[in-house]
Amino acid sequence: MTSLRKYLYGLIAVLIMSSWLIVSLAADQNTVKVNILMPAPFDDSTREIIRQFNKENQRKIEVNITRGPRETEAVSDLAISSLILGKSPYDAILMDVTWLPKYVEAGWLTPLDEWFTTNEISKVEEGAQRGNTYKGVLYRWPLVADIGMLYWRTDLMKKPPDTPYELVEISKELQKEGKVKYGYVWQGRQYEGLSCVFLEVITGFGGEWIDENGKVQLNENSNIRAVTWMNNLIKEGVTPKSVTNFSEPEALQSFKSGNAAFMRNWPYAWKELQKADSKVKGKVGVSTMVAENKENKTATLGSWGLAITKSSIHQNEVAEVIKYLTNEDSQRKLYSEFGYTPTASKVFNDYADSEENGILNNLRISLSASKPRPMVAAYAQISDILQRHLSAIFTDSKDVKKEIYKAQENTEKVMISAGIYKK
Amino acid sequence: MIVLILPALILIGFIFGYPILRYIWISFHTSSVANGLIPQFNHGINWSRLINDARFWQDVLQTSRFAFVSVSLELVLAIAIALFLNQPFKGKGIIRAVSILPWALPTTIMALGWRWIFNSPYGPIDRIYNNLTGESLNLLSNPKITWIATVIADTWKTTPFIALIILAGLQTIPKDLYEAFELEGGTQFKALYKITLPMIIPYILISVVFRLAQAFGVFDLIQVMTSGGPAGSTESLGLYAYLNAMRFLDFGYSSTIMLGSFVLLIMGCLTVYCIFKMTKISIQK
Repeated sequence: MTSLRKYLYGLIAVLIMSSWLIVSLAADQNTVKVNILMPAPFDDSTREIIRQFNKENQRKIEVNITRGPRETEAVSDLAISSLILGKSPYDAILMDVTWLPKYVEAGWLTPLDEWFTTNEISKVEEGAQRGNTYKGVLYRWPLVADIGMLYWRTDLMKKPPDTPYELVEISKELQKEGKVKYGYVWQGRQYEGLSCVFLEVITGFGGEWIDENGKVQLNENSNIRAVTWMNNLIKEGVTPKSVTNFSEPEALQSFKSGNAAFMRNWPYAWKELQKADSKVKGKVGVSTMVAENKENKTATLGSWGLAITKSSIHQNEVAEVIKYLTNEDSQRKLYSEFGYTPTASKVFNDYADSEENGILNNLRISLSASKPRPMVAAYAQISDILQRHLSAIFTDSKDVKKEIYKAQENTEKVMISAGIYKK
Repeated sequence: MIVLILPALILIGFIFGYPILRYIWISFHTSSVANGLIPQFNHGINWSRLINDARFWQDVLQTSRFAFVSVSLELVLAIAIALFLNQPFKGKGIIRAVSILPWALPTTIMALGWRWIFNSPYGPIDRIYNNLTGESLNLLSNPKITWIATVIADTWKTTPFIALIILAGLQTIPKDLYEAFELEGGTQFKALYKITLPMIIPYILISVVFRLAQAFGVFDLIQVMTSGGPAGSTESLGLYAYLNAMRFLDFGYSSTIMLGSFVLLIMGCLTVYCIFKMTKISIQK
């Protein structure tokens, strides 16, 4: 009798366990798994938001973040090496603004118009709407905005300079008085940062890189004047010679240690400058880059946004995740905890008069004047050409006009062979 | 017999043969973002582009300069280090282990370290130079000298590798050879030329061929230290091919660059081999 009872108990236990296993397996099968590739810093900053999403959508959608490298282009390398195989393990990719045309032309992305209405687009700050479409189709939804800014020392001047000439004048004066070692530090190394600096300066001089018809405009007089101005900064010692070796961290280090009156950098630098080890803590203001005329003032757009891969089999669910990640609550969290610039007009409005505003009002002004780098599939090539020639001017004392003409010729060749422009 | 080696042949075919054949095939096609990455036969346009590409030839010269200078420097230093490590002294084991450390470090990490060492104005080298002369050295932003910085970094990293091979060679030399030479009245200095160096020639040859091939394909060190700059003065063939594939999405031309440099490398190695052959030194002992 007892053995029969034991047998019965055993049978019941097995039945309960197996039914639990079947139920949980079935539930697991119904859960859609969404995999997103993000650069490492965004994996850190969105972790809490993702955890919340997974909690709210239990057994429906489960988001997994693939932590990519820290360096921007290394993330693209990782994405490309899986995308070229046709079936990417990523349902969505957090993309830099410059990758978009290339990825679309390669046929890797899905248009987002189906999920994002014009009403939703209109809620995004105008500047942050840029760089998300290619040939009129929406492919990327902005997560954070990012723009190049001019940092200036509030303890050394009453207001920031408006024109390039004012910037040089103030710099020289402060250097002469021994208040700063350098006037203006920026990113002059041969890399993408140099193209970003270039775009702001030439626009400020009324120039253009590629016009809306795809025509290369590098050899325009205003561009030559702009590059001559940049070159003179180095020649006249307003900018240290070593700027040709500077990327963002070196420029930040120089400004943070009180060595420079002005710096060109991205908004992330603000938080760094407010840290205890900063010699300029509380003495820094930000403004839009200098220009000959006020209406030419601009900021290079460098935002991050989410795009859905064509090979994803859960596109509706991915869109749902993107909407959650970029909603106003998430943006507030990303701004207040990590300092990322929001994209929604409402969030800018909410913080407008708040103590937490920081530099947000200035960022909003610059964002409205922002400009994306040329939205062409061959952007990486043309930026590479530009960087090489600019670097030759700044480091090898090459003639400005000759080098710019060479850059024009080489860029034209690329644009023509890529079928973007016909001469 | 052939049946026995067939599995190995098939494996080699898959591992080496297929990728090379695929490279050759892609190099005759346009496979870029301009045509949606769908390969189209292009009658050898990539190859004529390569021959007329001034940037490719500039990179060939720059890469050869890098490879030749760094391998020569490494060889001289490695022989000296190996001779030193071959001497009996206290703590030899620890010194040997420490000397191999640079080689064991991942290239990207050590390249980042060197980038900061050479950084101006914050790196130590620049600070010392600045204290002495009052000027900045700008080692990483001077197209005339930046390549030397990459050679220094490479030499620091890979000298231990050659030293290790040569040390192995030194240990194969019988001691009685030196004793006999001494009895005949030879000096220690002469022994170096008459016995040591001739006996380690095969090891030198092997390490030179290894290192030349490796240095000719340099990518990570350059990418991290200089990204090919300033003004493209340190760009290597590996970096140029990488840019074309991963940044420009032009796989056709990238393959052509790789194959072109492969052909040039084989020619380079054959030249080294022939020089050794002419001097009647065999790699077989």
